[in-house]
Amino acid sequence: MAKLTIGLSSGSIDKLTGAGVMMTGAAADDYEIEVYVLLTAARAFIKGNETLTDSVVEYPAHREYMIDKLNELNTPSWYEFFEQAKEFTDVKIYICSLAGKLWGGEKKEDFVDIVDGLCGIGQYLDAANEADLHINI
Amino acid sequence: METSELNNLSVNKTVDARGTACPGPLLEAKKAIGGLGSGEIMELLSADEGTRVDVPKWCKKQGHEYLGTLEESGYFRIFLKKS
Repeated sequence: MAKLTIGLSSGSIDKLTGAGVMMTGAAADDYEIEVYVLLTAARAFIKGNETLTDSVVEYPAHREYMIDKLNELNTPSWYEFFEQAKEFTDVKIYICSLAGKLWGGEKKEDFVDIVDGLCGIGQYLDAANEADLHINI
Repeated sequence: METSELNNLSVNKTVDARGTACPGPLLEAKKAIGGLGSGEIMELLSADEGTRVDVPKWCKKQGHEYLGTLEESGYFRIFLKKS
């Protein structure tokens, strides 16, 4: 099974949705996936924050348009994409411990249910090194 | 396969994924093909141009046989045979 490692550095919905599309596409191809949630991305993974839509990095003036259009296109939320990927293949999601602390999360229980644990940066670098495909978003 | 052959295919399962955008139809296909037996034929309906391109590549990687695509008004009928 090929392995995809994603370094997720953004918690904005455009980047999260993009990551979710890649993950579900990779899941259809039976990739094993590891996602490492780094610094600013961790905010979206704090329990209760998964429905926030306040941040769009690219074209922020078009935030409302983008959200409406994604809904019109019947596109799953970023969180639903991540859940779907987990249904289809082996997906592990780790939160960088520093990133977690930045947003008030120190234990696995502080994060949304799809999170598998916390990690150090060394684990991410090893996973990136071992992957067949490494993407940083 | 020629258009006439595709039109006359005996399909074992039709999956209507016209309500979802990429990569939704691919996931619907992956989900449904598990319920088919070897050699059985699935028809995937999709309004997504990206899916039309992705399914033949996906079939090649997964070992299934891509049979062809018919273009209808506003959507595609994509045919594949399970390995």
